[in-house]
Amino acid sequence: MAGGDDGLSKRSIGLAFRIGIEMVAAMIVGVGGGMLLDNWLGTTPWGLIGMFFLGAGAGIVNVYRAVNGIGYAPGYRKQPGPESGSEQ
Amino acid sequence: MDPLHQFQIQRYLPINIGGLDASFSNSALYMVITVALITGLIVYGMRGRALVPSRMQSLAELFYEFVANLVRDNAGPDARKYFPFVFSLFMFIMVGNLIGLVPGTFTFTSHIIVTFGLALTVFVFVTLLGLIKHGFHFFSLFMPSGVPMALAPILIPIEILSYLSRPVSLSIRLFANMMAGHTMLKVFGGFSVLLGGALGGLGYTVGILPLVINIALVGFEILVAMLQAYVFTILTCLYIRDALELH
Repeated sequence: MAGGDDGLSKRSIGLAFRIGIEMVAAMIVGVGGGMLLDNWLGTTPWGLIGMFFLGAGAGIVNVYRAVNGIGYAPGYRKQPGPESGSEQ
Repeated sequence: MDPLHQFQIQRYLPINIGGLDASFSNSALYMVITVALITGLIVYGMRGRALVPSRMQSLAELFYEFVANLVRDNAGPDARKYFPFVFSLFMFIMVGNLIGLVPGTFTFTSHIIVTFGLALTVFVFVTLLGLIKHGFHFFSLFMPSGVPMALAPILIPIEILSYLSRPVSLSIRLFANMMAGHTMLKVFGGFSVLLGGALGGLGYTVGILPLVINIALVGFEILVAMLQAYVFTILTCLYIRDALELH
C-alpha cells in the first residue's frame, strides 16, 4: 500500500493499483476452474496442472495489455483513435 | 482492539426467505444510506436548475460531467445510452467508500461479496451487450485475427481465461484496497491506545507518532476511495467499448 508520491499523476497510481491484481485474478480463475473441472470430470491432477499454466499465461497477457495500453480487449488488436482510453 | 472487528456483519432485522439469510444488516443499512445520500444530492442539488448553479448544484454537475467525460472518452460516443448505468455504479462505489471513512461507520465495499456482485453485474451486462449487438460474431473476441491456426489451441483458452478473470480482478481490487486501508487505520489507531495503556503519560506522548501517521493515512484513504471508484468506472467503460466495437 505504499504510494501517493507527489510526482505521480492520478492515472499512473491507478495503473499501479491495477496491474498487481490482474495476475492474481487470472491465476485464481485458472486454478479455481481447474479444480472445478477435476471435480466434475474426475481427472484429478491434470485439470489443475493444465489450468494453472493457462491461468499464468492469461495473467501475463492481462498485465501486458494493461501496461501496453491496448485496453482490455481480448485479442491483440490496437484500439483505433489516439484517445483509446488506455492509461499511458 | 481487534482490527477486523469493523468488518463484522450485524443483523438488525433478521429475514429468512426459504433458508436464505436475507437479513437487513449493517451492510444493507449503509447501502440504503448511500443511495439516499446520492439521490438527495442529485435531486436536491438540481431542484433549482439555475443557470448560475448553487453549491449543491455545482457538486451534482461536477460528478455528472466527470462521468460523462469518462464515458465519452473511454467507451466511445455510442456508449451514451449506458451512461446512467456507469453513473450509478460510480456514485454508489464512491459514496460508499467515502462514507466508510467516517469513524464508526461500516464500509460495505470492503466485503468481497458486495464488490463481486457489482463486478458480476458489469460482466453479465457487457457480455449480453456484446452478444445482442454482434450475435455469434461476439466469440471472435477469443480468436485474435492474424494469429496462426497452430496457436489457436493455446491462445483461445488463454483468451477465455483472460476474459473470465475480469470480474475477479475488478472485485478483488476494490475489496482488497478498501479492506487493507481500513485495517491499517485501525492498527495504527490501536498503537496509540495500547501505548497509552501500557506506559501511561509517556505512552500517550509517544502515541502521538502513530496518530500522525494515521492522519496521513486518512488522507491517503480518501485518495484510494476516489481512485478505486474511478478505476472501477474506467474499466467498466473499457469493457463496454470492447463489447460495442468488436473489430
